[in-house]
Amino acid sequence: MLTDDEDKVWPTGLTLKEAEEVHSYLIDGTRVFGAISLLAHFLVAASTPWLG
Amino acid sequence: MFDYRRIVLTKLASIGPRYLPFADVASKDVPLSRLLRLALFQVTVGMALVLLVGTLNRVMIVELSVPASLVGTMLALPIVFAPFRALIGFKSDTNKSALGLRRLPYIWKGTLYQFGGFAIMPFALLVLSGYGEAYDAPRWIGYSSAGLSFLLVGAGVHMVQTVGLALATDLVDEADQPKVVGLMYVMLLFGMVLSAIVYGMLLENYSPGRLIQVIQGSAVVTVALNFIAMWKQEARDRVRAQAMAAAENIAFRAAWAQLMQNAGMIRLLIVIALGTFGFGMADVLLEPYGGEALGLSVANTTKLTALLAGGTLIGFGIASRVLGNGGAPSATSLSGALIGIPGFAAIIFSAYGGGTPAFLAGTLMIGLGAGLFGHATLTATMRAAPKDKIGLALGAWGSVQATAAGVGMALAGWVRDVIAALPSDANGFAIETPYNIAFSMEMGFLVLAVILIFPLAGRGDLTKATRAAASSQSNPVEAP
Repeated sequence: MLTDDEDKVWPTGLTLKEAEEVHSYLIDGTRVFGAISLLAHFLVAASTPWLG
Repeated sequence: MFDYRRIVLTKLASIGPRYLPFADVASKDVPLSRLLRLALFQVTVGMALVLLVGTLNRVMIVELSVPASLVGTMLALPIVFAPFRALIGFKSDTNKSALGLRRLPYIWKGTLYQFGGFAIMPFALLVLSGYGEAYDAPRWIGYSSAGLSFLLVGAGVHMVQTVGLALATDLVDEADQPKVVGLMYVMLLFGMVLSAIVYGMLLENYSPGRLIQVIQGSAVVTVALNFIAMWKQEARDRVRAQAMAAAENIAFRAAWAQLMQNAGMIRLLIVIALGTFGFGMADVLLEPYGGEALGLSVANTTKLTALLAGGTLIGFGIASRVLGNGGAPSATSLSGALIGIPGFAAIIFSAYGGGTPAFLAGTLMIGLGAGLFGHATLTATMRAAPKDKIGLALGAWGSVQATAAGVGMALAGWVRDVIAALPSDANGFAIETPYNIAFSMEMGFLVLAVILIFPLAGRGDLTKATRAAASSQSNPVEAP
């Protein structure tokens, strides 16, 4: 399971670069999702305002 | 001490390969179930197309009372991204990834955009129509957000379809490519038919809340289906990752120029544009033509769409069989265009004494011709590219095809409206005249396509010989 390869990240067995790439997809997804939800809230507030 | 850590790690290691979202084991033989699963991305594409072109077209005009011209402009926005399909395909070919992935990152991004567009679309449409407090909101908010949502969905659809088709062709041998193309397009049609029925049922009792549910539901279904489609389809590959990192950067312009050097490639793209233009204009005009010129009922005109789709399915089936058995794509696309021409003639004739039978026969022939033509030209484009440039080739096909189809649709509606709007006492046009002018134009485009294919279809043996002699650097196009 745990290899001696210095480059590998524990415990997935991915190398550092691979792990960073997986992470970048997660971050990208979160950013797009966040921007979309912000915009959606803004548009809902424009048509049916709440808290006000 | 109880070594819980080691036990957990062993457990993790044993479930890892089965549940990690990367296919660690890539096998040479791909079962049908896996291809069908991959084809789910076409179902989501079909869903998006039906929602945009069919459902929302009606909902925006009838229920939301948005001006028809504005609706037309909004729905045409996704075409803006169609020419970028070649670029997307090229980028996926030359993607640099530490995981060795080429296609999956782009399908994933496309899915995100598609999801994002659908997620904001219902609210954007409600603001656009001035629902609730949005009546007092500045107009530009509605315009820009609705435009953005359509752009996002369009960009997502183009990305997912281009790169998804490239992934599907990656999975199979060159001999099986025609079959995979057929399968993918059958699934697209299946998705369109299914979602048209489902949307029709769900939106029967329209309310703003229902609109939000349906469109956002589509967003969730899109992500879910695309995720299932992508699951374990592309192997994580360290060898390929190293090759990617070592590969020199190629400019898009250079790769494009190289693709265009193939004998007959430019001609092929022109033929695709002309043929798609001809067939694509039919889609939007057949239903109103049946209703207005022949007096068919709404239920009957809906069956027309089924007839057209049925013809296309038969066309795909025949093309898959013929091309899979080594037939030349040029001959197949020629016969597709040749079937379309009498099809349009029959439809025009139906207004001058042919009646409904001629109209139905013409519709079926157009469907059949479109299926044969679409399948054969796509196969020809794929065969023109070496395996590592398949994304660019598919992108080039998609750019031309999607742009021509979109422009054709818009032009067909526009031609009809302009001619119908001419003062009637001055020209004395019958009700069918504007349609028949459009149909004649389509016939003209098909005739042009036939003229361009014809010289190449005749010398099938010659192109086969040159193709066999060619190096992997320059694969001449077998057709047309």
